[in-house]
Amino acid sequence: MRTVTLHFEDGEQRRIKVREGEFVLDAALRQGVPLVHQCRSGSCSTCVAQLITGNIETASDRSTSLLAIEAAEGKRLLCSSYAHADSELALHYPASLIYGTRIKVVEASVAALEWPAPSVARLTLELATDRDFTFRSGQYVRLKIPGANEWRSYSIASTVRELPCLHFLIRILEGGVVSEYLRTRCRQGDEILIEGPMGAFILRPVKAPQIFIAGGTGLAPIMAMLDEMRYRPGPRPPMLLSFGCASERQFFYRDEIELRQWWMPELRVILSADRVENRNSDLYEGNPVAAVAREPITDRETVAYLCGPPTMIEAGRRQLTEMGLAPEHIYAEQFLPSAISLAGR
Amino acid sequence: MEAKGNISPNLTAGSARQYQPYLEAEWGFKNSWYPALFSSELEENQIKGVTILGREIALRRARGQVYALDDRCAHRGVRMSLRPTCLTDETITCWYHGFTYNLRDGILRTIVASPDDPLIGKIRLRTYPVAERAGIIFVFVGDEEYQPAPPLEADLPIRISDDKNAVAHILDEQAYVRGIHRRGNSNWRLAVENGFDPGHLLIHWDNQIIAATDRNLGLGALPVTEDAIKIIDEPGGPKGMMNMYNTRAYKFFGENREIGLKARGKKPYYARTSVFLPGLLLVEHWPAPGWAQYEWYVPIDNRHHEYWEVLVGRCTSPQERQEAEYLYEHFFEPLALKDFNDNDLFAREAMQSFYEQGGWERENLCAFDDATIVWRKIASRFNRGIQESPHRRTIHS
Repeated sequence: MRTVTLHFEDGEQRRIKVREGEFVLDAALRQGVPLVHQCRSGSCSTCVAQLITGNIETASDRSTSLLAIEAAEGKRLLCSSYAHADSELALHYPASLIYGTRIKVVEASVAALEWPAPSVARLTLELATDRDFTFRSGQYVRLKIPGANEWRSYSIASTVRELPCLHFLIRILEGGVVSEYLRTRCRQGDEILIEGPMGAFILRPVKAPQIFIAGGTGLAPIMAMLDEMRYRPGPRPPMLLSFGCASERQFFYRDEIELRQWWMPELRVILSADRVENRNSDLYEGNPVAAVAREPITDRETVAYLCGPPTMIEAGRRQLTEMGLAPEHIYAEQFLPSAISLAGR
Repeated sequence: MEAKGNISPNLTAGSARQYQPYLEAEWGFKNSWYPALFSSELEENQIKGVTILGREIALRRARGQVYALDDRCAHRGVRMSLRPTCLTDETITCWYHGFTYNLRDGILRTIVASPDDPLIGKIRLRTYPVAERAGIIFVFVGDEEYQPAPPLEADLPIRISDDKNAVAHILDEQAYVRGIHRRGNSNWRLAVENGFDPGHLLIHWDNQIIAATDRNLGLGALPVTEDAIKIIDEPGGPKGMMNMYNTRAYKFFGENREIGLKARGKKPYYARTSVFLPGLLLVEHWPAPGWAQYEWYVPIDNRHHEYWEVLVGRCTSPQERQEAEYLYEHFFEPLALKDFNDNDLFAREAMQSFYEQGGWERENLCAFDDATIVWRKIASRFNRGIQESPHRRTIHS
């Protein structure tokens, strides 16, 4: 039996006992410490923590999405790691995140369905009765559509200010269960179940400059964060949003982003597309990570938030670190198509 | 003085979404400097309570210095200014149970009947930055996290540079500053929008000052070119806009034949108006050439504002000062600040119930309302935060 001390971002601490052969996450959940997690199989990286002292190692029979350099830095996926000695871990979120809100299942109905781009749906759900449902900007929920058995995860694109409405940006995939529903059957008033809130992808209470990098519908939690920035107390720091889509035709939300830019003079925006056909386009040709390559980082405390496919996150982490950002100041949320993983975000 | 940034606002389209933050700002814009009292209204050792953006604030002058703190005792919420109690120069004492706080940092210093209480040194009252300039006590109202507060100059009108007889700035050494403030029974936004409204001259057409000076203000002004409204975006300084009444960008209407109405007065008189964040007005060469009228519409709550009417003149000698005092007392205050502006106050109050009941979505703005829309957009961009209703449950961030 090992003692593992968990240090949360807000200074809170919890001590848990971890048995021989027991994953750290399982031990925490068993002892009533609801650490943030999702897949419990080592793929989503949601439960990542930083080893401070001690000996915690990934189970040798598990392959995880943790990069070798991340493991070398002391990152551990708690759902797949054993404690071999008394240890201390740092969590990258405040204890208030897991103790302040409870995950629950609530009923909602479809209030609106719009199409910002041919392959992007903007779904608006309205909570039926539950007026206590709350969340942090950047978090996600799981949705269960009419007639489906499985749940699918989607980031909330709005803030608590829009409650009882919640907005989602959903990429339409060939053969996707939710995609099919949205394209063919979705009607105003349809009942959809929401489970949440989940995830630790939230704004940090820092005054340093902020970089947001979003690919495709990875823009959803970033929009929520940008709207949160509008209402955060204190002066707003300089912000940079780099948002990219696959092609000009697939580009969406330009007007929404321009509005945020109008409302926040501190926000700079770089829009990009992997393929730019139109010569007069103001879009940067390339991906949203490459688009920030030449941005000077003047403040060592700069914080970055990334949301998009795993390849984008990986490239983003590497590049931002090269540009001088501290690895612990880079926060990411991966979007995986449901064909690859259980998460359909 | 152009709008900065790499996007160009659509300033004339009636895009209500662009000024959505303004519509949310029912309780005003926070993190801004607002006038609280004239210096002469707060004597040594006096405590007075004011309400700005729904926040109750106590002002106390001790050894000449003015301090601003929350006006609710941390103990049981007693409004301390209701029965001012000053026992030392460094503290303010709640008159009910004797909780005594430092003026400087708001920390609980002692409790009259419990000097060893464990709460001492642990709890505190919120304090606010204060600037006393030009005979006015200004308070920076907003988030405690907003530090340092920007300079007061950033929340005052710009210095006029394009006029060889430029009016004085309120902070000029030679400025003669005098005025009144009173309560207006309308939301603060209706007051700001009335201040610079190019189409509102009808309410003034028969005012005493017009009759007495034989001025012709016209019945209203219509913007006819794109440069009718100049955006003011000084780096680190004032943000706002200017109605270029002094140029051909505005066309003045002196007569409406349809109903047989003609503006009175023989001498054409155009007073240029500008409006600045967080919501204050500058009228140049009003109520007389060389003078400026400043107006603040300080949100008290969502249905009331404190209407500040302050005149700024320039006096270089005791004689000029004497003359200014005479003019102020016998001409400017009775004919301009009172008779003339009484009509403005009346008009704002006449709209209140409509806007309270969703009028922002039901109004029908017309051709001369460009300035109103531009103001709403500018205010949406440059405000330092929207004050939340005190009744709204706090949302964590």
